[in-house]
Amino acid sequence: MVNGRNVERRTILKAAGATAATLGLAATTGCGGDGGASADGTVTIRYAWWGAEDRAQRINKTIALFEKKYPKIKVKTDFQPYLDFWKKFNTQASGGNPPDVFQNAIGFLRKYDAKNVLLDLSEQVKAGNLRMDGFRAGLEKFGEIDGKLLGVPVGSNSMALVIDKPVYTKAGVKPEQGWTWDDYHAAMEKIRDRTGRAGDTGPYNVMYLYDLYLRQNGKAFFTEDGLGFTEADLKDWWAKAKKGVEDGIYANQKKVAQIKPKSAVAGELSGGEFTWDNFTVRYTSEGKSEYGLAPIPTTDGKKTGQYLGSLMLSASKRTQHPKEVAQFIDFMVHDPEVAKIMGYDRGVPATQAQFDAYKPNDPVNQAIAAYEESLVEAGVLEPITPHPNGADICEAAFLRIGEELGLGKRSVDDAVKQFFTESKTALGS
Amino acid sequence: MGTTVTHAPAMEGLSQDSEPRHGPVKPERPAALKRRRRRENLAGYLFMSPWIAGFLLLTAGPMVASLYFAFTDYNLFDAPKWIGLDNFSEMFGDPRWQHSVRVTLWYVVVGTPLKLLLALGVALLLAQKRRGQAFYRAAFYAPSLIGASVSVAIVWKAIFSDDAIVDRTQKIFGIDVGGWTGDPDMIIYSLVALTVWQFGAPMVIFLAGLKQVPRELYEAAEVDGAGKLRRFWNITLPMISPVLFFNVLLETIHSFQIFSSAYIVGGGAGGNACGPADGSMVYTCYLYVQGFENSRMGLASAMAWMLLVAVALVTAVLFWSQKRWVHYEEGAR
Repeated sequence: MVNGRNVERRTILKAAGATAATLGLAATTGCGGDGGASADGTVTIRYAWWGAEDRAQRINKTIALFEKKYPKIKVKTDFQPYLDFWKKFNTQASGGNPPDVFQNAIGFLRKYDAKNVLLDLSEQVKAGNLRMDGFRAGLEKFGEIDGKLLGVPVGSNSMALVIDKPVYTKAGVKPEQGWTWDDYHAAMEKIRDRTGRAGDTGPYNVMYLYDLYLRQNGKAFFTEDGLGFTEADLKDWWAKAKKGVEDGIYANQKKVAQIKPKSAVAGELSGGEFTWDNFTVRYTSEGKSEYGLAPIPTTDGKKTGQYLGSLMLSASKRTQHPKEVAQFIDFMVHDPEVAKIMGYDRGVPATQAQFDAYKPNDPVNQAIAAYEESLVEAGVLEPITPHPNGADICEAAFLRIGEELGLGKRSVDDAVKQFFTESKTALGS
Repeated sequence: MGTTVTHAPAMEGLSQDSEPRHGPVKPERPAALKRRRRRENLAGYLFMSPWIAGFLLLTAGPMVASLYFAFTDYNLFDAPKWIGLDNFSEMFGDPRWQHSVRVTLWYVVVGTPLKLLLALGVALLLAQKRRGQAFYRAAFYAPSLIGASVSVAIVWKAIFSDDAIVDRTQKIFGIDVGGWTGDPDMIIYSLVALTVWQFGAPMVIFLAGLKQVPRELYEAAEVDGAGKLRRFWNITLPMISPVLFFNVLLETIHSFQIFSSAYIVGGGAGGNACGPADGSMVYTCYLYVQGFENSRMGLASAMAWMLLVAVALVTAVLFWSQKRWVHYEEGAR
């Protein structure tokens, strides 16, 4: 025990050293921020998007093409289904570690701009790393808010009425551009009476359709900072919906809820439903029938209130590689080869060059292209109304409360009251 | 359940433990003793330090932060803004929150007793000696082992959804109401069924308790002419009441915290994380929606603390009630 004290001290020091080393190690691994630039000047950017396996395969092909053309830029991808995507994105962005470039949509532009997440890409346009010319039908303005370029459209789509063609034929209904809501209701009754199927899934909780209806009447779902309609407007809309379900012109909502995530049209519960035109592809893979597109009913026989919607690519304000990110976006929206790989998966390509490069040879995609061209020719397209910060939460509430109404869990008055309460909280007004 | 005495390594008055094992037994001088003890303490703390660091960083720190957030408006992006009790008043006035409380209470009050009844019933059957006993015990316990996993919830959803096995079986009997998971009124029953099915863990504990009941008591009662029911009521139940108490306590707390099964069975339908028309929106599910979908971390923190308080209250009531119905052996309390 003569040098026992020394032994002990040494042991303690060793233990302390080990502990410090462990903590130090934890600290380095815990810090996940990667600058992404390696010694030979190769830069890695992270690209996140929502979607499923099919889209993943297409996107991976386009990335391989990009990396071939820009050997100094590596792209790391990350994808989730829509809802999970935003949960993960929120967490990453609030931790100061969002992906460098990511898929985005109109409902989120103001939200993330207000939270200082989005990079203003106009600097990169000036520097020549990103071209904003050659977009179809005014789409280049789509991602601009308050003079800032916050997103670049990759594809466009528009609201449409997707129909089960044989059902419409059997009922003897032929929808035409400029038909009115009265025509539409008469058609729904015809379908119910002659085919024994509900005419529509129930349009009342489709927020984007209600937006069109409001625009036909000189209003809109959103203004720049709030809701663009009154409680009385919504009461009117939802009261008609409730009656439609009771009358059987809209599908049994309990059945609709049961077969989810399959759509009611593909599940043969209804003759059609309002949705984005490029979703026709999905119905075709889900259902057995033949599906087509019909125009949006109008109030005055002319105005549909329609606009082109779009998926966009946005960049993070925190990215350390704005130039490479801009080059990546530029490649994805302009390169003709990319369009050949992606098809209409994210809507009809936004740039003329990509639109010309991909000519679909299957009837469904041809119908989508024809539908969008008919919108341009009919001259019904208008500019989109901007969505305020909190719009995404309003949309979710509209969908949920509409479903509760359809399932008989709420009265119309109660549903309207609840929607306005939740929206006011979400929009902070 | 009994009282445990913790022997801290360097507790005062236990000096005989720190005596060297060999060598002449010579009393150390107080100063040397003190120095030596301090060194030992230091070594002790150093070896505990990884655990302490983990506790401070991963448990205590986040808890303190969450307590602070509960009184703020915090959307993850902007700095938290102090708003006092606003989160709590908003919570109480929110019909969706009230709905989630009702759903959770219903789930706890119906699910927990059912689960415990089944666990006790099966334990009574398996306590008797019979062939294949080990197999049955393992088979009944298995669902509890895999119960927490996500895959079971996914399988459950597949069993109870529209046109799946439960729905088709119902149709044979002429009941055509569709699957349970797509029905706002039925989905909660499928969750109750899921928790009841996982009765294995309390069952094993009951089994252990039943083994502890002295056989002489039964023999004496039998001699006195007591029937089976009477023996169960007057001997078995009082003798296993500490185990019963333990199970009630544990399962109640677990039930309040139900999340993953509700989130998975209810999720995916129409983009609503909490089942059709909020049919399976238990408390933690709504907490998750507020925190991660609506980015309202302050409100979600307040909800989490509210849950903690509620569980603490229920636990306190259970502990208070045990005086009336839990029987401990002499001196064991």
